[in-house]
Amino acid sequence: MSDEATLQLPLLARVGHAQHCKICLQGLPSSQVDVDSARLALAFYCLGSLDLLNSLESRTNDFERQDWREWIWEQHTQGRYGTGFKPSSYMTPSHNLDNYTEFDAPHMITTYTALLSLSILKDDFSRLDRPGLLKFLRACQKDDGSFYTEPGQGGDSDIRTTYCAFAISSMLDDWSGIDVDRAIPYITACRTYEGGYGQSPFCEAQGGTTYCALASLYLAPSSSPIRGEPLTAQQRRQTIRWLVHNQGQSGGFHGRTEKEADACYCFWCGASLELLGAKDLVTTSALASFLARCQFKFGGIAKSPGEHPDPYHTYLSLAAISIHPPGPDTTTSTSWNIKPLDALINTTKETAEWARSHIPGQKIKS
Amino acid sequence: MPTIHTDPPTLYAERSDWADVTPQAQYENVNPLAPIFYTEEYKDATDYFRAIVKSGEMSERVLELTENIIRQNPAHYTAWQYRYKTLLTIKAPLDVELRLMDELAVKHLKTYQVWHHRRLLLTETRKPVPELAFIARSLKADEKNYHTWSYRQWLLAYFNDDELWDGELEFVERMLKGDIRNNSAWHHRFFIVFQSGTRKGDEDRDEVVRRELAYVKQSISQAPNNASAWNYLRGVLDHSHTPYSTLQLFVQLYTVPHSPGETAVEVIDLENPPPSKDSQLPCPAAIEFLADIYELEGGNGIPKATELWKSLANEHDTIRKKYWEYRIREALQSTGP
Repeated sequence: MSDEATLQLPLLARVGHAQHCKICLQGLPSSQVDVDSARLALAFYCLGSLDLLNSLESRTNDFERQDWREWIWEQHTQGRYGTGFKPSSYMTPSHNLDNYTEFDAPHMITTYTALLSLSILKDDFSRLDRPGLLKFLRACQKDDGSFYTEPGQGGDSDIRTTYCAFAISSMLDDWSGIDVDRAIPYITACRTYEGGYGQSPFCEAQGGTTYCALASLYLAPSSSPIRGEPLTAQQRRQTIRWLVHNQGQSGGFHGRTEKEADACYCFWCGASLELLGAKDLVTTSALASFLARCQFKFGGIAKSPGEHPDPYHTYLSLAAISIHPPGPDTTTSTSWNIKPLDALINTTKETAEWARSHIPGQKIKS
Repeated sequence: MPTIHTDPPTLYAERSDWADVTPQAQYENVNPLAPIFYTEEYKDATDYFRAIVKSGEMSERVLELTENIIRQNPAHYTAWQYRYKTLLTIKAPLDVELRLMDELAVKHLKTYQVWHHRRLLLTETRKPVPELAFIARSLKADEKNYHTWSYRQWLLAYFNDDELWDGELEFVERMLKGDIRNNSAWHHRFFIVFQSGTRKGDEDRDEVVRRELAYVKQSISQAPNNASAWNYLRGVLDHSHTPYSTLQLFVQLYTVPHSPGETAVEVIDLENPPPSKDSQLPCPAAIEFLADIYELEGGNGIPKATELWKSLANEHDTIRKKYWEYRIREALQSTGP
């Protein structure tokens, strides 16, 4: 980046971004109906953004946070395949927490985002059915080592679900719900000749799925043989090379070779580099300049300049800035100060600590 | 038969053929997170859908209802699941369903469920061959669509039938001819050539590697600044354990600027096709590649590699300055005392 461009780094419009997320938490227009079956995930991106901006306490009040916790617990549902969280009440005709039907079952990705959202809201997790959650994880794992998004009906399965299963096990500090030895070969089968990982075996390397693969490998428990350094030196070099080359001239990252930059890949690729111990290789001034241009004038961050914002791109942009903040040579504005991130489970360090100290519950024996 | 259009658009609540069903409103807590302000049509359809799921009804009209919901919200995965189960239970003609999906797939290319549903249907119909033409048509709407390519890879691997593989190389060449920078097509090429067993005519693996190297070099000569082609080249070399140094003569042609007064080369060296006249040189990917060759050489190669990395850091690829400096540090460290 030229000095001229970096010196003109605009402010990060913190208030606008917080407001965008707050508005989404309060309600979405009918045009957003496609998030009906993923509302808890969307809520996580909103709450997570407020958390990263350190605005949760100032932008929301105790009553709201209490109500939201209650609402999330309403999605905590028990049944024949164990316990987890469903995406929302979009399939729920009446108040009934027990014995879900097969078409109103908990969902793996939602369960991961619910645990994080409750941690952001400082829930004590006294209501969490831990044995049920382990049973749910077991019911989701397939013979090939991957995981269904939902038990019973099957649903789809790819490396995103694997990541969620690993992150949940890690937060629970209990790996008895999944067969790690069976899960790892599925992850390694997703690796491609470019050095990234695809969504399932044989698929093209992509930034988001590469993050899921790497984070899963680095989350794996100490009992697993790959713990420590899951990649060979040669693999690690190749993956770093591919990730670094995904940063384009605009300063933003693209998710696949020869594609356009997109704000979300600033996180997926940027966090992957952090996991590989190579975060210093990102040109942070150019990254910040790109994300600054993705800001929407009325708040929120879009996938690329000139597009409309959404909580997903807002959250991932803020998370990317947290890992790769612009240096003092680029800006002296405090607007770019974002709370530090735990890149493995993708939440602020403070929230990760809360999760890890409250989700496992009382250990029966040491 | 599933109806394609629900015409005129009446609410289910007003329809006499649904009068026997008691709609089930969505249960919602006082202050929910991110509630959606549904349209009347969506609320009406999903009220009836919740009722149907509760009663367990599987019938023709369920196909109409789920199609209605899917058209309003293609990400409604439960509507898809229930629809699939209904199709199987009432033994609906799945080829009719596939034709409906032909339309919905192109309309909702980026919706995961459209493709997942199609996979499920194919595992029932087990007629994969016509799918190849369908996928080729869908790619016209979005040539790099991840779901569409994944579906093709799944189809080939799942059915693994000679008839399916036969035209695949030709197909991928067509796609690359249309867009030489389509990384999905390059990836697909790697998958069909190296990751899916050996096709008839490809038993001589050394010959396959030679063919692929010739292909990618030719492609680079047409458009040198194409990261997809360079990644493919590296992939072929890594996969076949061919030393990078065997490409030295070729890549060197791309590491220097065009010389002034350069004319068309009279004798084309087929092994080392030169960069096209209008290409932008030097090519950073070639400089990187040459530096890799020098680094692997060790000894006197290291200072030569370092010079090249410096030129990338300071001139030809400054966005990755920190990376090239890191490569210099790493190389010096591994050869240091």
